Amino acid sequence: MSVPAAARSLGVRLPPRPSKLVPTITAIVVGAIVVLSTAGLSITWSDLLAIPGELLHYGRLMFESPDWDKLPRALTEVWRSISMAWLGAILCVVISVPLGMLAARGVGPAWLRYPLRGVFAVIRAVPEVIIALILLTVTGLTPFTGALALGIAGIGTQGKWVYETVESVQEGASEAVRAAGGTTADVARWALWPAALPTLASFALYRFEINIRTSAVLGLIGAGGIGSMLSNYTNYREWSTVGMLLIVVVAATMLMDAISGAIRRRIMEGATVRELGRIL
Amino acid sequence: MTEPAERLRIPPKPTHRLRTALVVAAFAAFTIATCLPAIGGVELDFAAIAKNWQNGAEKVGQLLQPDLSFLPRTIGPMLETIQMAVLGAAVAAVVSVPLTLWAARPTNPEGVTRRIVRFLVNIVRAVPDLVYATILVAVVGVGALPGLLTLFLFDVGIVVKLVSEAIDSTDHPYMEAGRAAGGTQTQINRLTALPQTWPLFANQWLYALELNVRISAILGIVGAGGIGRLLDERRSFYAYDDVGVVILEILVVVIAIEAFSNFLRRRLV
Repeated sequence: MSVPAAARSLGVRLPPRPSKLVPTITAIVVGAIVVLSTAGLSITWSDLLAIPGELLHYGRLMFESPDWDKLPRALTEVWRSISMAWLGAILCVVISVPLGMLAARGVGPAWLRYPLRGVFAVIRAVPEVIIALILLTVTGLTPFTGALALGIAGIGTQGKWVYETVESVQEGASEAVRAAGGTTADVARWALWPAALPTLASFALYRFEINIRTSAVLGLIGAGGIGSMLSNYTNYREWSTVGMLLIVVVAATMLMDAISGAIRRRIMEGATVRELGRIL
Repeated sequence: MTEPAERLRIPPKPTHRLRTALVVAAFAAFTIATCLPAIGGVELDFAAIAKNWQNGAEKVGQLLQPDLSFLPRTIGPMLETIQMAVLGAAVAAVVSVPLTLWAARPTNPEGVTRRIVRFLVNIVRAVPDLVYATILVAVVGVGALPGLLTLFLFDVGIVVKLVSEAIDSTDHPYMEAGRAAGGTQTQINRLTALPQTWPLFANQWLYALELNVRISAILGIVGAGGIGRLLDERRSFYAYDDVGVVILEILVVVIAIEAFSNFLRRRLV
């Protein structure tokens, strides 16, 4: 016996079902957009059927016997990518923390706040590859260009995270500083900064993790690092080396994620009970 | 003779000086190591900035004078970019639901399959997007298809990771109720976990769509279709006024999609 029928037999009046009109219309609109997009793409969909076979074929070429001869060079290039990511993250954080603080409500004046937010939004929209393409007319096709591009391209998102973090800090400490006669600068230094610091540090490490992935992308346009090596060997169709490089990229990225993630958790959650025992 | 009652021992005030010194030292050592070209680090070349900054300023100047007569030619590729972004996000959205339920502890208490799915998703996430595009272009040929596959893989990676972690970190009294009522895991997932998680999913799908527009704008650089191909072509002709138009258009579309998805998000949450 279904539930409504059971309820009726017991004399319980069920509330009417909520209208499903809006979700249905949304679903139809979304579905239509997806169908239109599919129809508009010039893809021969029968190619899709061949893909599993192709992938298997190339997967075999890449991973059946990865060519480990070039591993030393690959490791140097991975370190170069990590270096780009790290220096880029430092540059990004050094610029975006003060600017983000100024863009936060309650810290910067309105005439500064809105232009800064506009700048962040514009930088967010420009792909980092384009920033790199402009920068390479200045510093050439070097890893330094990559680091600068990562640093500048990250400001948009990082700045947004900074002002959102600062704005989400509880009011209490700010009020206390203000009540004690502190200026806005004092509020920022003694109330907002200490409260926001752990989150900001965690976001800084997160920027490093993101940069590791992006630095491989910048390598593809020639900024150096593992991305350049990968794109070269893909162009040479040396699949056994490509396979080795992919393994190195995945392993290095996962390792860095794990280390940085562990540090971030330590920052955000504090010492675990066991660590506390050791410290005391 | 007994001593006077032993004094309450107060633990010493924790000193952080050694720890701070160690953290700073580790930070400095890592930073210095990243600046050593001998072991693969980055060579900091500030002299080049001082010497050549005019070049960059000139390029930015050219970009700021976009040649709008080029605009009609960019519409087609831009449309392709948006279509790729939408379709990639849509297919990824469908695939991400079962994978997410497999990858989260409350919805899949069974350890082995959960670890396998998580491990695979982590691998998928560890490969950068343009690397997928490069390899897929080599495998399936130039066009929109490798771009679409790249976006799909990328989206599945982030949606599954973010949503499954969100499921892991929340309490689930409803699911307990379902279990107490004798539901199987599938029934519990279907009737309690899913309705609760839809807003999370929707949020991340929209986020994936935003990222897709941004990424697919550059996928064309490696031959994976969309506006990026045009961008790369004009750049290799040094037609920076045309490049300016394309960047401007990407900017407008990205901001429009962001505004649209923020609007949807406010309605959802």
